[in-house]
Amino acid sequence: MTRITLIFLLLVALTATVSAQNKAIASGEKLTYTASYNMSGVLTDIAQVTMETSEVKTSKATLLRLKCTAATYSKWDNFFKIRDLYESYVNPNNLTPYLYNRDVNEGSYFKNVKYTFSNGTNTVKSVMKKKNNFVENKSIKINSGTKDIVSTLYYMRILDYKSMSVGTKKSFTILFDNEEIKGIITYLGKETISTAIGKKECYKLAVGSSEANVLQGKNSNFLWLTADENKIIVYGKFKIPVGNGELKIKSASGLKN
Amino acid sequence: MKKLFTILAIITCAIAIIFSVLPISNLAVFPAAFALIFCGIAFYLSKKTGKVKKIVQFTFLLTLCALSITAYKAFFVKNEVVNTPILNEKEAQFEEEAIEELENLDLESIEFEDVDIEKIN
Repeated sequence: MTRITLIFLLLVALTATVSAQNKAIASGEKLTYTASYNMSGVLTDIAQVTMETSEVKTSKATLLRLKCTAATYSKWDNFFKIRDLYESYVNPNNLTPYLYNRDVNEGSYFKNVKYTFSNGTNTVKSVMKKKNNFVENKSIKINSGTKDIVSTLYYMRILDYKSMSVGTKKSFTILFDNEEIKGIITYLGKETISTAIGKKECYKLAVGSSEANVLQGKNSNFLWLTADENKIIVYGKFKIPVGNGELKIKSASGLKN
Repeated sequence: MKKLFTILAIITCAIAIIFSVLPISNLAVFPAAFALIFCGIAFYLSKKTGKVKKIVQFTFLLTLCALSITAYKAFFVKNEVVNTPILNEKEAQFEEEAIEELENLDLESIEFEDVDIEKIN
């Protein structure tokens, strides 16, 4: 009996792995968000975040470029100007990353990080540039399945939430600042919310905590993904020391389904 | 007591004015609300003792000004992103560089199409 259960679980796990194929993200998709600070219900809009996809052709393959940009609204530019660019070049079928680029321009702070993934050898060639011509080259050993932050965000969209029961956890390993970070998402069920693109039934996910009390509402970071084939992120809520950070969708175009 | 509430009203009013001219203008409603309450209490206590000081009325007016600026900014100032050409240039430059690097990578032939789950099984 135990053996049968084990085989069944293995089959389920295998199906889950195989089913993580991209049926949600198309080239030419553009999602625009507003990042705001919420204090006791009073919202202050801070920046515009865009997530775009496009096709990139090389002589050997056709890849998907996942690009995220964050730019502060003009009223903030004189105080703290942010112009961040994150991009990842991935396999369009399973979102395996090949190249990742992060260019951070925040006030007087500048940083550029480039990762070149060698998926066969599980290594990453990292080049980090900072102000005053600081350059650091590194070769990092990673676990199989480790992704960059952008491809992880998109990867969350190709998971099969339909077959998940409430409380199901999925873990990710993210390479960020030359370090592997463990991230966990917990499926919390369906919820209908009002957004700028209409009333949407969503999958609610708790992000970042492996704690058991996540279902009792102790977790503070949540994401809402539309419960359709596109599974786009429409709303995000993040706890910060005073108040909440919010990410709200403004517009969506070029969706696959 | 009267003096205490007058001082509190002045401080919260000053905070409300500062917030209202900054990008965080929406948050000015909190100190402004406190300023109005403190002004009200200071006014009531002053009236009880006889003479109402001009500073209380002045603080009240300034608080209303702060609230007006906040309301104007909230309803009429549009949020927009400007100065993005540099970012757009960078995007194009990074894409060119990325294609060059990707050419040097050993990529298996990946096609831009859906993979049918049934076919994999």
